[in-house]
Amino acid sequence: MDKNILIEKHLQNNLSSKERLVFDELLKEDSTFKKEVTFQLDLKKVATHVDADNFKNLIATLENKNSSKTTSKRPFIKWMAAASVILLVGLSYMLMPQQKMSNDTIFTSYFTPYKNVVAPIVRGENNQDGKTAAFLAYEKEDYELAVTLFTELYTDTKEPFYLFYKANALLKLERVEEAVPLLIDHLKTKGVLTQKTNWYLALAYLKLNETEKAKELLEKIITNNSYHNKKANELLEKME
Amino acid sequence: MEKVHIDTLIHSNPKEIGRIYNDNRDSFLFFGKKYGLDYDDLTDIYQEAFIALRNHALNGKLNEVNSSLKTYLFGIGKFMIYDLLKERKKTTSYEPNFHIQDGINTVLYENEQDDLSIQQHLLKKYFPKLGKKCQEMLTLFYSRGLSIDDIVEHSNYTSNSVVRSQKSRCIKTLKEMIKS
Repeated sequence: MDKNILIEKHLQNNLSSKERLVFDELLKEDSTFKKEVTFQLDLKKVATHVDADNFKNLIATLENKNSSKTTSKRPFIKWMAAASVILLVGLSYMLMPQQKMSNDTIFTSYFTPYKNVVAPIVRGENNQDGKTAAFLAYEKEDYELAVTLFTELYTDTKEPFYLFYKANALLKLERVEEAVPLLIDHLKTKGVLTQKTNWYLALAYLKLNETEKAKELLEKIITNNSYHNKKANELLEKME
Repeated sequence: MEKVHIDTLIHSNPKEIGRIYNDNRDSFLFFGKKYGLDYDDLTDIYQEAFIALRNHALNGKLNEVNSSLKTYLFGIGKFMIYDLLKERKKTTSYEPNFHIQDGINTVLYENEQDDLSIQQHLLKKYFPKLGKKCQEMLTLFYSRGLSIDDIVEHSNYTSNSVVRSQKSRCIKTLKEMIKS
């Protein structure tokens, strides 16, 4: 029985019971065969990954085309942020076609403070607890005030998400060195936002010109398919 | 689900995918609006749901599905909407409305986060350096699960043996790249 055909059928879940016996026997006895099976199983996983990445890129491109048609539906601030990113990235390409983007430019292009999903602010409601006040400051882009309030709230409650939002506010204020330890602490917690932290930590390292650390985290994001993995991929390409 | 849709998803022809994606997008955003999510959330979810739909096509789940592509896609989207609302419920006092009757059954979707080993990382690094034909061939066989016969039918290769020898040449090239 041709060994390659056996592997081919195994990969396609198509072995007859007789062939399965031969396959299992070879796997035990023949180390070259075993090595080849392992290689092809790895290749299957990798080909699937690459195919999935390409599909994700296709979907992102389709969505970008749609979103650019309907930007007026987006809130004004977000639209402005998106436009400035496009302008900045566009300008960088036009002005320095042969140069790599600087870490500073990349940071400015890619960093947007994570949206408030913790305490949605209902306009017109006069709910003045500390948490609402902090997130209101954050949404109004009063990041100095937000940092102060998040610090107090974290001291009182030890809720991990305050670390995350405080770090975001600090990043926006370009107080990156203060943001990094908070993000590292946040990574040790198990909140619902933790899977997003690596993205912000990668950007922070980039801003501090700690490029290797940033790359390592971006690769981790891509491998784990976690938050902003498409952007991480894009960013890595720009860095190389 | 119609086989032609499943094949389109698997083979990911950009034009056809674009048509299906755009045909259902606006009605999904309208559908999702009643759960109180904003435009950005819903476009994120729609993209994720569409990617999940293709994963279901690739792993054969869609072959057993009787509903239309749209109903199934919305079912995955609805599952993801609930997931997001649940996530937010953990961190806020916000009470999402979980009981909207819209005739769409949720479709479970699990995001399989599989880490790559060092060897697989190496393979992933060199895979895009193969020629276009090799990448296509290996994608058809290893990712999309086409048999050698299917590949003959799907391509310009004239016979099984031509496909097999081309495939083994591609694997050999890949192995040599990694060794060097």
